[in-house]
Amino acid sequence: MRRLLPLLLLLLGTALPALAQSTSSPTQAFPYTLKTDKLPNGLTVVRVPYPSQGIVSYVTVVRVGSRNEVEAGKTGFAHFFEHMMFKGTPRHPEGERERILGTFGFDDNAFTTDDITLYYSYGPTAGLPQLIDIEADRFRNLEYAEPSFRTEALAVLGEYHKSAAAPFLKMEETLNAAAFTKHTYRHTTLGFYEDIKAMPEAYQYSRDFFQRWYTPDNTLLFIVGDFDDDQVMKLVREHYGPWDRKTSTITVPTEPPQTQPRSAHVDWPQPTQPRQVLAWHTPAASANTQNAAIQTVLVAYLVGPTSPAYKQLVLEQQLVESIGSDYVDHRDPHLFTLTATLKDERHRDRVRLALLREVSKVAAGKVDAARVKAIQDNARYGALMALQTPRDVGIQLGWYAGILGTPDGLQRHLGHLAKVTPAQLSEFTKRYLQASKLTQLSLTPKVDTAGGTK
Amino acid sequence: MKTQTLVSLTALLSLVGCASQQKPAPEPTPPPAQEATATPPAEAPPKAPSEVPAIPLRQPKPMELVVLARPDTPIVTFRLVFHTGSIDDPKGKEGLTALTATLMAEGGTQKLTSAQLLDALFPMAAELDTSVDKEFTTFSGRVHRDFLPRYLDIFTDVLLAPRLDAAELERLRTNAISTVENGLRSANDEGLGKAALDALIYEGHPYAHFIGGTVQGLKSITLDDVKAHAQRVFTQDRLVVGLAGAVDDALKQSLLSRLGTLPATGAPRVTLPTVTATSGRAVILQKQTLSTAVSMGYVNPVRRGDPDFFPLAFALTHLGEHRQSIGLLFNELREKRGLNYGDYAYAEHFIEDPGTTYNRTNIARTQQDLTVWIRPVDPSHAVFATRGALYFLDQLVKEPIPQERFDLMRGFLQGYSRLWEQTDPRRLGYAIDSLFYGTPNYLEQYRQALTKMTPQSVQDVLRRRLHPSALNFAFVTQDAEALASALRSGQPSPMTYASDKSQALLDVDKSIIGLPLPLRSDAITVTPAQSFMEK
Repeated sequence: MRRLLPLLLLLLGTALPALAQSTSSPTQAFPYTLKTDKLPNGLTVVRVPYPSQGIVSYVTVVRVGSRNEVEAGKTGFAHFFEHMMFKGTPRHPEGERERILGTFGFDDNAFTTDDITLYYSYGPTAGLPQLIDIEADRFRNLEYAEPSFRTEALAVLGEYHKSAAAPFLKMEETLNAAAFTKHTYRHTTLGFYEDIKAMPEAYQYSRDFFQRWYTPDNTLLFIVGDFDDDQVMKLVREHYGPWDRKTSTITVPTEPPQTQPRSAHVDWPQPTQPRQVLAWHTPAASANTQNAAIQTVLVAYLVGPTSPAYKQLVLEQQLVESIGSDYVDHRDPHLFTLTATLKDERHRDRVRLALLREVSKVAAGKVDAARVKAIQDNARYGALMALQTPRDVGIQLGWYAGILGTPDGLQRHLGHLAKVTPAQLSEFTKRYLQASKLTQLSLTPKVDTAGGTK
Repeated sequence: MKTQTLVSLTALLSLVGCASQQKPAPEPTPPPAQEATATPPAEAPPKAPSEVPAIPLRQPKPMELVVLARPDTPIVTFRLVFHTGSIDDPKGKEGLTALTATLMAEGGTQKLTSAQLLDALFPMAAELDTSVDKEFTTFSGRVHRDFLPRYLDIFTDVLLAPRLDAAELERLRTNAISTVENGLRSANDEGLGKAALDALIYEGHPYAHFIGGTVQGLKSITLDDVKAHAQRVFTQDRLVVGLAGAVDDALKQSLLSRLGTLPATGAPRVTLPTVTATSGRAVILQKQTLSTAVSMGYVNPVRRGDPDFFPLAFALTHLGEHRQSIGLLFNELREKRGLNYGDYAYAEHFIEDPGTTYNRTNIARTQQDLTVWIRPVDPSHAVFATRGALYFLDQLVKEPIPQERFDLMRGFLQGYSRLWEQTDPRRLGYAIDSLFYGTPNYLEQYRQALTKMTPQSVQDVLRRRLHPSALNFAFVTQDAEALASALRSGQPSPMTYASDKSQALLDVDKSIIGLPLPLRSDAITVTPAQSFMEK
């Protein structure tokens, strides 16, 4: 099961680096310096000098995602709201942003996840003064009319329809609804379909959403490239300084512990490969624990390209097209998953049991230390390979800062990755990847004869 | 083979991203029937050419070397581009080139099984990948210089001594068949629409079939076919060698001397036929789906190197640069009318480079296509959206782009085109494409050309070289017969909105609603998606 559309495969084939601190390593995986300041209003501003020949990336991460959607009927709003953020202000009415940033040739976009909303502009450093002005203005003074809001709701619906063609969205919806009974992770980032269809009616709510979450103390700004730091900070203080709202507090319902195995099933009405997902409740990512790093290493250990399961199921027996994981670091406890794309429904149990066997081995303390080291090497070099442009650096930094709530989230994560031990993998597996915490999702194609579907 | 990830930001970021903006200061679209005063004499625009001949691309010398060394990176980038692609698939063995390249890249070498190959590359986080298009196949690699000697052995063995074993062939063949049966036909309406348009406009041409192959073609391929094909097409005379990043003379020499053991020549080049440009056809692929995906286009004789290409490319970017919200179609169809998630236009064949919004490099084509992509719309709006795209395409031919908008788009491309060349693989890709198109310093030349264009000079080119009447259409939808009837009838497609719209927009709608589509009612066919690319 995948997330929605691969909007930013910017890190195709990458892993994140372990900070290369040990003297034995000739290679520093993250050779960049962060300059971090916090404005009096709580806005965190991080600058990263990067030799980029006049290209800059400007990333704003707001710590709001579908996790924050606690009101019934209002799922999908963090994502919808991300669309609305491009709609203008009294000083820069609709169309103005495009004319200003378009003139420079900025790639200007955004994405929303369960936990964060990330905005990025990537283009010539020459446009930085205008960019700072217009960005600060929209975060402070966004304003849009109801007709514009209603129309944009239809673009969001179009986005849902586009994503619904492949089985992944339905799988994610079904798994989340089975695994979560109370927590807002029960719905996906796009939100429930019924709620999306009702979005045009929620104009006032969208205004409240902005006031609640688009606040300086809930936002981090990353600027990566070659620019004059003093000049940039002067502009940032001038334009963002007056931004003065305080973030709201909500109580995201805690998910009660799962005590019994659960299962869910999808009949997919078109030809597709059968699929199997194993999902266990696991702890959140946080800046001060190894939990996210352990899960990251565990994915590679259990189902990565050098894992016994991969060799056996993919290469030797050819029972599956692929195995993998949809594990993603989350702010609150989420799911550790193993996924298999089967070639034939008949092998479902064999594949499922083979994956569970690998989990049992780790839980029993049978961990190959050499493979753990190889995974850590892959992580370190993979990071260096991945960071090819200021955009890559900005988005990675923004992502981890948003999840972990600290501007140096990426480096912390790298530090944690480098320290994961075989014993930790084993302990974690024993503690969390238990049958009582497991939700299994299966998908089977159910197609009428003659290729038609009901 | 993709380097596997620990933290796949692919997954992390495969989320919902979108920019949504409005057009710059409203330029009310002039009523359609009015000619702007600046337009040249109101003669009918030239008709689309009835034939698009195959004027061969240039042939670089065997194993031509392109080096873009850079002292400030520890990464070495390899890019080996062979002038072979799916056009070299023998009839009845469609998919052979792609399957052969994949088996070479993933199936191991004579020294290493596929599993050992993965084991060797993994701690390096090295990349070793292949990508096949109609006329070109690329083997690309990236590695940190800490591992260069070992990686160089593996990378060159993939080409010189691939394992080509039967079990891996079966595995990859099954995957390739699944890609057609489960991926293309079922799970990606937008990709299906694009592939269907390809098949329609290049019917009977070696470009027509899906690069990944047909189900029956893939089933008929034997291990002997693969072994023979590798020798026939992965040859020195078809190869350009690209190196970038941490490159020194020793690496250049070592790589070239090894690749010198490839066969010098192999199969004769495929002679591509002239495309007889038939317009006004539509294919409707029927499948279960919530919405309707639309692609339209025609075979286009204007390609890079033609003096008219830059103005045409500029105008199509104005209409809709891929996934950029500055485009006219995006603003008119998505932002103002709420029809869908996006609408884009392309002056040459476009395949998104994963992880970017930019076109892939090294997918050069002898015969190009000009296309418009309408992302899925509500089925009840499919005809209106199609007409809407046609309306704005027509406008380009009828009237110059207003000066203010022209200046905006020129500035946009001056900056945005720099983003296309920010990484070593992409820089190499452009340099290699330039050898085949005969366009040295292509992007710099484009930016230079932009400085000299005027709304009138661009429009002069569009009047001669942009032909909305030449369009063909591909739709993917559930109620195919209803759509076919609507298209055949030519009846107006009225449009209503759930929110207030400006009078200017409603006036434009009046022109869109009844706009005649360039469709021949006897050339609209309905096909079940489940039979697409069967053989």
